[in-house]
Amino acid sequence: MSSESAFNPFSVAQAEFDRIADLIGLDTGARQLLRSTQREYHFNIPVRMDDGSVQVFQGYRIQHNDARGPCKGGVRFHPQETVNTVRALAMWMTWKCAVADLPLGGGKGGVICDPHNLSPREQELLCRGWVRQASSNVGPVRDIPAPDMMTNAQHMLWMLDEYEVITGGRYPGAITGKPVGMGGSLGRTQATGYGVVYTLREALKEMDIKPQDTTASVQGFGNVAQYAIELYNRLGGKVVCVSCWDQNDEVSYSYLKPEGIDLEELKSITDHFGGIDHSRAKGLGYKVLPGEVWLSQEVDILIPAAIENQITSESVKLISDRVKILAEGANGPTSPDADPFLEEKGIFVIPDFLANAGGVTCSYFEQVQSNMNYYWELGDILSRLDVKMTAAFYAVFDLSRKREVSMRDAAYMLAIDRVAMACRDRGWI
Amino acid sequence: MDLMGTKGSESLPVFSRGTWESGEGVSRIGRGEIGGKAKGLVLMADSLLARVSPEEFPDFKITIPRMVVLPTGMFDTFMEFNDLWDLALSDTSDTRIAQAFHKATLPPEYVGDLRDFISQVETPLAVRSSSLLEDALDHPFAGVYATKMIPNNQPDVDTRFQRLVEAIRFIYASTYFRSAKNYFEGSGLDHAGEKMALIIQEVVGNRHEDRFYPRFSGVARTFNYYPSGGARPTDGVVNLALGLGRQIVDGELSWSYSPPFPAAPPPFNDVGDRMRNTQTTFWAINMGTPPPPDPMGETEFLLNLDLTQGERDGVLDHLVSTYDPNSDRLRLGLGFKGPRILDFGPLLVGETLAFNDLMRKILPLAERTAGCPVELEFAVDCDESGQHRFCLLQMRAMVIPEGESKVSPLDLNAPGVILASEHGLGHGMKNDICDIVFIKPEDFQLSRTRSIALEVEKINASLLAAQRPYMLIGFGRWGSADPWLGVPVDWGQISGARVIVESSFRELNPDPSQGSHFFHNLIGFGVFYLTVRGGGSSRINWDWLNDQKTVQETEFLKHVELTKPLMIRMDGLAGLGVVTTGTES
Repeated sequence: MSSESAFNPFSVAQAEFDRIADLIGLDTGARQLLRSTQREYHFNIPVRMDDGSVQVFQGYRIQHNDARGPCKGGVRFHPQETVNTVRALAMWMTWKCAVADLPLGGGKGGVICDPHNLSPREQELLCRGWVRQASSNVGPVRDIPAPDMMTNAQHMLWMLDEYEVITGGRYPGAITGKPVGMGGSLGRTQATGYGVVYTLREALKEMDIKPQDTTASVQGFGNVAQYAIELYNRLGGKVVCVSCWDQNDEVSYSYLKPEGIDLEELKSITDHFGGIDHSRAKGLGYKVLPGEVWLSQEVDILIPAAIENQITSESVKLISDRVKILAEGANGPTSPDADPFLEEKGIFVIPDFLANAGGVTCSYFEQVQSNMNYYWELGDILSRLDVKMTAAFYAVFDLSRKREVSMRDAAYMLAIDRVAMACRDRGWI
Repeated sequence: MDLMGTKGSESLPVFSRGTWESGEGVSRIGRGEIGGKAKGLVLMADSLLARVSPEEFPDFKITIPRMVVLPTGMFDTFMEFNDLWDLALSDTSDTRIAQAFHKATLPPEYVGDLRDFISQVETPLAVRSSSLLEDALDHPFAGVYATKMIPNNQPDVDTRFQRLVEAIRFIYASTYFRSAKNYFEGSGLDHAGEKMALIIQEVVGNRHEDRFYPRFSGVARTFNYYPSGGARPTDGVVNLALGLGRQIVDGELSWSYSPPFPAAPPPFNDVGDRMRNTQTTFWAINMGTPPPPDPMGETEFLLNLDLTQGERDGVLDHLVSTYDPNSDRLRLGLGFKGPRILDFGPLLVGETLAFNDLMRKILPLAERTAGCPVELEFAVDCDESGQHRFCLLQMRAMVIPEGESKVSPLDLNAPGVILASEHGLGHGMKNDICDIVFIKPEDFQLSRTRSIALEVEKINASLLAAQRPYMLIGFGRWGSADPWLGVPVDWGQISGARVIVESSFRELNPDPSQGSHFFHNLIGFGVFYLTVRGGGSSRINWDWLNDQKTVQETEFLKHVELTKPLMIRMDGLAGLGVVTTGTES
């Protein structure tokens, strides 16, 4: 396992938990149980490489809490991962599943490696090796892995295949993120982005604002951003600025068009990492500006859908007074020290683990369909997703109003309370 | 004329999740135009109901069933989202179109609201078309598009949602079925410009074991083109049927009367004639064992039941008379054993309910509200506590003939007349018809009317393509859903005809067509409709017809072509029509 860095995300997650536990008056037993991970598996994975040598990779699976149901969380490949990051992510998965009211707990795992340096065969051996080590502790009734950073549907299929060889049956519900037609669910590609907009839509209703009377600025142009923009456009909204990373220049740019960006047009000049070709964008009439410009646009809605820590106590000052809603499509885009400034500005924040819960919700749907070995139509899935996300939004919103707390705090309070309740109901505490 | 001016969907409140029971009676999901049917319903809800005082008719609760409108914005997005335009507007078969629409996905921005809606509603629903062009004054489109009724009684929301989605797709698909395409060709309108809004409306009725239907349904018109007895055209006419209103709209047997003369029956020859020509079956929604799946079938969830089932369900008390063979007379009600006749005797003659009073009040009110003569569809449901529910389902404008075209009775017997009718529909003159298509009397067989329909369709298609309007002459009712009452064509199969003649034939002498969708198309396209019955001055000169140049002859039909156009005059107010040759014979 990589050595821990000075910054400890798990400590941050625990501090956040402690603060909320104080707010809801959580008892000592519950606090002790929930601020720690429930189980951790650390193991070594030997892989015979293409050149004949054997390399041993460190793999792990961390299960934070499964009181509400089997754990759920991704498997990531990353050369610089730390166990504390993964612990924090596993904990946040517990809260995300709980706030979306899914019957799932939180988990996370992966392998310390850089897949760019591995051939497809080596990646396959790594995936199968991970399953061989973890198989007795994962599966459809325990812990269901999914794709994460630098893993994809192919990795999931290799893992599933190995699991099924070991267990001697067909268990499509053991892993999610599979391709459609091989046990995957329709709607998965749209789910996270659409989920952001479902919560945004409800926030606008509460503010008595029609989507067609609003404009937005979006950070990121990957899967989440593209589908969020698509649905927002369908509702009548207009995105005037999109910002994304340029792999060649190693800097981010903002692409501005006051009359509204053309999503299909931009997609046609975007690579599969979500990077827009800036010279072609100029040719299409977009103003190409420094990356941070997306944050200062005179718009009603901001949607950070790229990476963490983009809105800090410093950068928050760039936000226009016109902005009414911040819908967090990415994980952790707003640093905790920025929250008070957002509140002072009167900006309605839809916290990340509520706004982007569409993805895990659709993963849950995939798990359900896989366990039945019966797959729903797209309309079925999207309608269920809409209803679920809307219900989640209102559960948080109503609590926020009742307890006069921010949406972020309300989301945490609701999630932690639900998990604590499940632990009590099981007689654990 | 547009019943609601230029109001679009913005005038309707937005559907609010979780508030179906307590919320607005009419709401919308999405934006766009709401179409002709929805506009009429909204007009009724906003204006007409406000003019009827509940105290005046304490026996009736007068309402409009709750509904949700899906404006044309959803249709546009659906077509784009699923890339259906090319297929829809092509010449592909109805089956292929139905399959493609059945596999298509509803746009994501609407499905959440639809799911929430269906989770709150557990009563049968009617999913009805409300296209932009439907029910407009000069382009009736009545009956061209489908209506799908679903029982909506499955215990799980998922299945109910799925059935609703299937119904929506089916109605959308019907926009591009062959019958609709033929209609557009006949009307000269651009099919690509048509857009479809939908109404999802509660079905009025009660459940009787596995059947759901209203006590009776009706269609009332404030102008009657076929007044009988002492009734005038402006007295209007009401058609009534047991069960769902499909019975009337599809041109099947129903009871008709004029509101000032509720006790006066339609002109029957005798009791036997009345018994043969009144309703003996009715439509209900199947609430029982699901039928074999047929998502693209309009009647998937409908049952056609015998009148005796209505008696077992206990719903006939206001509706029937009973035949007494001893006296060869009809007695009101069910108090006697014997064959039942659906003549609404207790209701209209015995006045067991103040129904006709309500009709006499509401029809002129509806006309004033719309600013023109109208047709109203309604359903009545009776409960045992004595509270009856009178539900308005649809209101649309009627076209009334304008201009002068007097025909006197003497004109019917003038020289050169090849066809005369004392019961005609339409008004004006036509002098551009050189083609006549008629059923050969010597070859007509009542058992072969379906084959006749197919032959007519082919000739119609060729005349349409050649842009040659024609006069069509046949026996029984053109457009009858019952092949034993006439030729079961839909409007698209005869859309090129500009004069339609229904003649009696031996024992085949049904009432003239009152199927409202057909009826409206005749008027909307300015088609003259003539009935020729035995006796009086009505007649057809078959010898003259057979002397004309034959262009095509099939097993049952003959198509003749004239060197000079016919002179056709129709007096809509007098109901007299006369067809003369271009020169005097």
